[in-house]
Amino acid sequence: MTAWTDSAGGRRARAILTSRPFLTLAIVVAVWIAASIASRGFGAYGHLRYLVELGAVIGLVAAGQTFVVIAGGIDLSVAAIVTVSAISLPLLSWQADPTGLASVLAVVALTTAIGVVNGLGVALLRVHPMIMTLAMATFLQGLLIIIAGGSAVTAENPLVHWLGNARPAGIPAGILLWIAVSVLVLTLMHATPFGARIFAMGANPLAASLSGVPIISTTLAVYGISGFTAGLAGVLVLGMNGQGYVGIGDPYLLASIAAVVLGGTSILGGLGTYAGTIPGAILLVTITALITVVNASPGWRSILFGSLILGLLLLSGREQARR
Amino acid sequence: MSIIPYARADGALYWQVQARRNIGVRSLFLVVLAFLIAYAVLFPGLFTVSGFAKFTQSWFPLALVAMAQAILMLTGGISLAIGATVSLGAVIAATTMGGPLGIAGGAAAVALAGLGIGAATGFIVVRLRLPAIVVTLAGSFIIGGAALLILPRPGGSIPAWLSDLLAGDTPAAFVLLVVVVLLWKLYLATPLGLSLYAAGENPVGAYRSGVPVDAARVAAYAISGLLSTGAGLFVAAQTGSGDPVIGTAFTLNSIAAAVLGGIGFLGGQGTMRGALAGSLLLSLMISVMFFLGFTPVAQYVAQGLIIIGAVAIPQFRKVQQ
Repeated sequence: MTAWTDSAGGRRARAILTSRPFLTLAIVVAVWIAASIASRGFGAYGHLRYLVELGAVIGLVAAGQTFVVIAGGIDLSVAAIVTVSAISLPLLSWQADPTGLASVLAVVALTTAIGVVNGLGVALLRVHPMIMTLAMATFLQGLLIIIAGGSAVTAENPLVHWLGNARPAGIPAGILLWIAVSVLVLTLMHATPFGARIFAMGANPLAASLSGVPIISTTLAVYGISGFTAGLAGVLVLGMNGQGYVGIGDPYLLASIAAVVLGGTSILGGLGTYAGTIPGAILLVTITALITVVNASPGWRSILFGSLILGLLLLSGREQARR
Repeated sequence: MSIIPYARADGALYWQVQARRNIGVRSLFLVVLAFLIAYAVLFPGLFTVSGFAKFTQSWFPLALVAMAQAILMLTGGISLAIGATVSLGAVIAATTMGGPLGIAGGAAAVALAGLGIGAATGFIVVRLRLPAIVVTLAGSFIIGGAALLILPRPGGSIPAWLSDLLAGDTPAAFVLLVVVVLLWKLYLATPLGLSLYAAGENPVGAYRSGVPVDAARVAAYAISGLLSTGAGLFVAAQTGSGDPVIGTAFTLNSIAAAVLGGIGFLGGQGTMRGALAGSLLLSLMISVMFFLGFTPVAQYVAQGLIIIGAVAIPQFRKVQQ
């Protein structure tokens, strides 16, 4: 207790070891080790790599969700935005675009715009984020059926195909994309004035506004980022799946919120980090994989999934007592 | 805020408080009235007994889930598991009522399931201090899974006479709604009911003043569960059978109805009459769009726009003042 805690390095190490992101990471490692002992195929490098690849989609959606939640809001339209991205990409393809980069950019611009519209509703019309984004999801759901007509669409976009299937240096391109986005997000969140502003806004919007934080433009940016990362996730999931259909994004709503909360970000805003969301996302896909191994009926699978999330929340998601 | 002048009698004070509660929902009542008139013009059969019965039957389950959501939002909570709970109520009703338990036993099972699920959710949220939105989102998977276990595919049956009684040509649904509203008034007069607004508006202050905050919030979750499974029973009676995913749409609609009715997300703001009016408005909107020949897809789009508009416009006026 003396020399070790007194030195600056020791204090730093202790802060990391007791932090929520580290706790979540420790749970992931523990579950992986336990599952590898119980079932032999689980711990294989290929399987773990596949899990992280699946986690990349959740991690991307949850990146925007982390921004929104830290800023004191919530985005319930991410599932619909993922679907919009996966469905509209094949429709936005041009002959004069051999790499497919232009259509990917167009789709991500579209989903960013959807996010900005969410932000406009929240910041200017002062609609509660939950209502604004739920209504947006309802609206998009109707629009999607008009656009896609309920049938699956196939992407013939080289870039999307590469994202979903290529493995430069043995690492899936989706994981590389996730790593790049993570670095960007962590830098933006913890090393820029913008990042400081979203924490201030989430902790106390009135105080932040009086201290000169531009609430409206920051809100627009936060929801725009959420639309952007959900759009990227839609592109990735389309690449991994090969086909887009209405409902392809549905699993990612609960998953993104659960990953954020499991990673130690307060759902009340103003507190948290994307560094916790990353292991949170991997934990979620691990749970899903374990449930699939159990080979139960859909009802039991659903019950197991919900119960495990609840149990994990008890470990890492509790709020402070308010009295 | 004006100060209420000293009342000469207790009764006078009661009506003054009631009148003040109406202030926030007056414009909503006008909108509902306009939609009611539009509906009556489009569908003149509203003024016959069977037309009125059908109209109230399409409103009744939405009214129940709006109340279920509103009581939670008044205490500062929220539930994203309402839809799953409605489904569970429907499948329990459809599997038990035709069996050895009979109607009374089946209804008791539905009520117990609702109270039990609600109380358990409330306990987890309130005593274990987990965020309500995440608990109920995870809970919707557990409850929905349970519904799938009980009835993997649509089936089961509701005795025909019960379906005829609840969803036939009698205004039984309206009578039930009146009973539920009277029971709500009665509940508000009990200590737990009185604590409801205080626990939502300022939990710390209420706790320090001796209000049973935790008990009031857990009770609110239990009642919310009961109302949701009750709505499920009614939906099962309407369709004559059970369906494990029939309630899904009720989650969004319950929140929309409560918010349209002026219930705030932070707790302690709003009134149950507002939530009921909100649910009536939503039900009317869906019916009017149906009669105007909107496709289901256009209904989604219109519903999303109308909800944002209805919530945004009053807020916008408040900001401008």
